[in-house]
Parts: sequence; C-alpha cells; structure tokens
Amino acid sequence: MSRSVCCAFVLVMVACLSLPALLLADDTVCIQCHSGQSGSLEAPIAEWRTSIHAGNGISCHDCHGGDPTDFDMAMDSERGFIGAPDYVDVPAFCGRCHVGVFDAYRVGAHGEAIDEGGAQCVVCHGNHAIQNASLDLINEDDCSQCHAYERAALIRLSLVETDTMIIAAERDLDRLYRLGFAVDDMQGSLFNQRNSFHRIFHGVEVERVRQETAGVQSELGKISEEVAAIDSTLGQRKLWGSVVIGLFLLAGVIFLLVRKTYEEEEKS
Amino acid sequence: MQPIKMLVDFFDVRLGVRDLYDRELKGYLLPRNVNVWYTLGAVVLALFTLQIVTGIFLLMFYVPDSEKAFASVQYIVNEVPFGWLFRMLHAIGANVIMIALLLHMLSVLFMGSYKGRREFTWLSGFIILNLTMGLCLTGYLLPWSQLSFWATTVATDAAGAIPVVGEYLVEFLRGGPTVGNQTLGRFFALHVVGMPLVLLGLIGAHLFCVKRRGISPPPFGSDYRTTEELPFFEHEKHAGGIPFFPNYFVKDAAVICFFIAFLLAIIFYAPGLFFPESAFQPADPFLTPPHIKPEWYFLWAYQTLKIFPSEIVGLGVQGAFMTFLALLPFIDRGPERRPAKRPLFMTCYVLVILVFVAISIWGHYS
Repeated sequence: MSRSVCCAFVLVMVACLSLPALLLADDTVCIQCHSGQSGSLEAPIAEWRTSIHAGNGISCHDCHGGDPTDFDMAMDSERGFIGAPDYVDVPAFCGRCHVGVFDAYRVGAHGEAIDEGGAQCVVCHGNHAIQNASLDLINEDDCSQCHAYERAALIRLSLVETDTMIIAAERDLDRLYRLGFAVDDMQGSLFNQRNSFHRIFHGVEVERVRQETAGVQSELGKISEEVAAIDSTLGQRKLWGSVVIGLFLLAGVIFLLVRKTYEEEEKS
Repeated sequence: MQPIKMLVDFFDVRLGVRDLYDRELKGYLLPRNVNVWYTLGAVVLALFTLQIVTGIFLLMFYVPDSEKAFASVQYIVNEVPFGWLFRMLHAIGANVIMIALLLHMLSVLFMGSYKGRREFTWLSGFIILNLTMGLCLTGYLLPWSQLSFWATTVATDAAGAIPVVGEYLVEFLRGGPTVGNQTLGRFFALHVVGMPLVLLGLIGAHLFCVKRRGISPPPFGSDYRTTEELPFFEHEKHAGGIPFFPNYFVKDAAVICFFIAFLLAIIFYAPGLFFPESAFQPADPFLTPPHIKPEWYFLWAYQTLKIFPSEIVGLGVQGAFMTFLALLPFIDRGPERRPAKRPLFMTCYVLVILVFVAISIWGHYS
C-alpha cells in the first residue's frame, strides 16, 4: 500500500472526529421566546424541563393554550391562549386532563374550602417542576402548615400498602414489557387501579379511603398473580436454556478433544 | 451397519459419493499450521443456516401489513409455542452473525489472506458483509415497532443527501414520500426472497474462490513463505497438510458450538441487550421517540453523518472508505503477509479499529 494513500486515509478518519456536531433545535416558540427573558418569565422553562410533563411530551401550550408554532399568535386568545389561571381556578385548569382526581377533590375537604384558601393542586404538587406523585407529598411539614397532621397521617397509613403494591406492579410490568411479553391488558388494569387509587385519597376522607383501597388491592393482587405465573415460565426457560447452553459447551469441548487426538496422529 | 452401507452403495454407484468424499473432504488438505481464526467462515455459514431455518418459521406467522405486522410479532412471541425462541434466535442471531463476520474480516486483514491473486475471494466476502447489513436493515423494519419505523426513516432519509437523484432515491427506497405500508412490502420482499437469493449465490461464489485458489496459509512459523503473484493460475496446494474432514471439521464444529452457546446465553441471560424500549412499542408516524439509534454495527455510519457539516460529505467519506476497503487487494499488492513486517498497514489497521469503536461509542451516547 502506498504511503500517500495511507496518510490520506488516516487524515480523513481523524477529520471525522474533529468536526463539530450539527445540532437542530426543535423547541416551540413559547420556549424559544421565554428562554430569552429573565426572572419569573424565564424560570418556568428550566423547571418544566425537569418535570414529568416534559418527560411525557406535555408542553406549555397543552396547559396554557395558544399557538406554539407562530410567534405573533402564540399568546392570542383566538388561538386558545388562556395564560395562568387564578388560584381558585387551578383545580379546573389541571382537571381538564386529571378528570377523576378533580371530581374527587372538589367534593372533598380541600375542594370545598378553596374559596377560603383551601389547598389546591399546586400547593401540594408544585406547578412547572411537577414530578411523579408519591406518598412523600403527604408529610407533617407541609400538611401542618394549614391544619393538624393527624387526619393526613391516618390517610397516609392507609395508602402505604397499596402504594407499595402499585410501585411493585409498575416495575414488574415494565420488566416483562422489556422482554417482549404482551402486558397491555395488565397495564390497562394497573392504569385504572392507579387512577382509582389517586382519586380516592384526593377526597381526604379516612373511612372512604380504607374501604376503597381494599377493592384496588384485590385487583392489584390479580396482576401480581399473573406476573408470578410469567416469572415462573421465565424461570423454567432459563433453567432449560442453561441445560442447552451447557450441552453446547460440552459438545464444543468434546470436539476439541477429538481434534487433539487428530493432532497427535498428524504429528506421528 | 449393513443398511447404512447399502444406502451409501445405492448413492455411490449412481453419484460416486465415495469418490467425492475422498477427493473433496478427506482429500482436501489444509495447511498444517491452520489456526482457530479459520473456523469463522464455517461459523458464519452455520449461523446463516440458523437464520434461514428460524426465518422460515417466523414467515409462517408474520403478516407483512403495517396494520397487522406488530400484532403478528406479538402473537409469535406470546402465543405461538416456542415462537419467542425462534424470534430471539433470528433477531439476536443477526447480531452474532455480524460479530462473526467482522471477526472473519479482521482476521483476513490481519493475516493478509486476501493477497496472492485472491481479489475475487475478498470481494465476494466483502459484498456478503454488506449484503448481510442490508438484510439486517430490511429485517429491522419488519416488526413495525417505533424503533423499526424511525430507524428506517432516518436510514432512508440519509439517501436524500445525494445531489440530483437523492430525492428520487429516497422515494424509490420507501415506495412513497414517507415510510409506510409500501416500504414494508418492498423491505419484506427483499428480506425474505431477493437478498437471501443473492446471498446464497455469493456464498457459493466465495466458497468456490476459496476452494479453487486454495486456502491462504497463516503467515506465521518457520513454514512461512511470501505470496508471489504468478502470471498464471495456480491452485495453492498444501502437500502434507491436514485433511479438512474429519480432522479440521471437528474444530469448526467446536467453535460453532461455542458461538451457539454464546447466542443462547444472550437469549436466556441478557435478552434485552439488543432491544431498546422503542422496539416494543408499535410504530407511530406521528410520535418521534427520543434517542432513536441504529444497531451497534451501523452506529459508526450514523455518527459519521452527524459529525460532518453536511450529510453529503458524511456519505462521501463513508463511500470512499467502503470503496477503499473493497479494493484493498488491488491496492495492497506487496508480497509480505507477516503482521510484524507490515508496520504501516498494522498501524492503520489498529487506528481504524480504534476510530470505529470511538465513533460508535460516541454515536451511542450522542
């Protein structure tokens, strides 16, 4: 091989590594415009990027309306822009998507007290940086800012077991899904049970929470049984797979030993 | 034993099978210092056979229709007895074939086995490698998952960077302006009929070239001689060598067993290794999933397209590199084959492998 061909080739390959990447921006006009602002107008962008909404593809316009493709009309009411809601309107604002939770909330103690400053969605969940809800949201520090913690503590106690079951079922179904198992039905059932569960405690009634979580737990138990059956099948597959792998390795070693005898024959 | 002897006699008097065995198997002699790297051709052949067998099984249940393809794969994996195993053997087997093919190519380059009037052997092997990548690409679309759909969209889109004909080429590849049912139809036809037929022909041609020209001996040990380019055809004989069958065949069989054990180990202990989450979601043309990446053996090409300021430059570099590799036996004509005596070649060899690995890792994490 000629030296010049080699040198040219090496130079081309090194050039591959030295040139900058071409990046393309796919942000909406809301993000592009607010990113260039300051203070409270800019802060929601960074907060939103860390949120579960961003993770699920829910962007500014999905809640606040407007046209995310047109700078001039982005905040025009003709394009559905509704901006930020007043304090008392927040539950209905979020409730456009979280329908079941909104229904339970508005007839509960928090919802009925909203005109007197009762807690609404963002008081507990935050707004732009909203994360996947967990039982940690019910805690003495936060709840006792408005009222005594005893009732909230009882509700939390009633929820712990069910919450643990839901988290375990989510983890199991995700694992089986990643192995190619058809878990759509179980995921649909879990989705329903999780929604029911969330709806129950937004009513903040201890007795109702205790009664209805029993039904949710029963349905979650059925999912656990199905998961256990699939895991048993997987265990059997792994066992038999290990046997077959062992047989192939053994066959390989035997073939090599046979080859060894041929080598001795070839030398003699 | 009598019935077996009668059966062999039956064929022998009609086809001369004993003569064939003596001449083509027992009488086919290999160099005495032939090493384990020479088994990789047989490994690839065995894995291709496995692909054909499992592919035929999958074909019994797969429906090449964008409305039904994903569901049919789900049906195979969840309902058909041992369907999951056949699907895994086929999909993960494709990755193991690529590993074996790349190792085969790297060992041939390392030992300079393409030298000594073996251009056709190298070229047919190089086309087999590319055709296998084509089979992988067309097979990738068939499950009609998010990964299938978007990886194919990105891959076919790259052709659009070619000046003048790019736009038409993209439409020709897809059968329309976007990836859709028509793309699935043509990829399916190519994957199950067109490409396998060409592949079988090429494998035949490759084996013919190997057999006709003779095995290139390893460039190691005291028996080593430089490979002269004679002005006439000569079959490279290995007098006093070892018979292919059964002496060397058992080594082929051993390495094939180890490769199949390796394939099964991935299936049973790391089944998700080659399947990202998007491989389990049905294709949705209106939802672009984040972080869509091609298979590991295409990552270098994917990242090359990204790091250049325009795709046409990236495509040009890829084309130049692949053309250079295809024509290597015509360029590198020196008789020396010992790696230690080819410092320039070996430096490039190591450098290119490192650059490829680095670009692939970069592509994976970019």
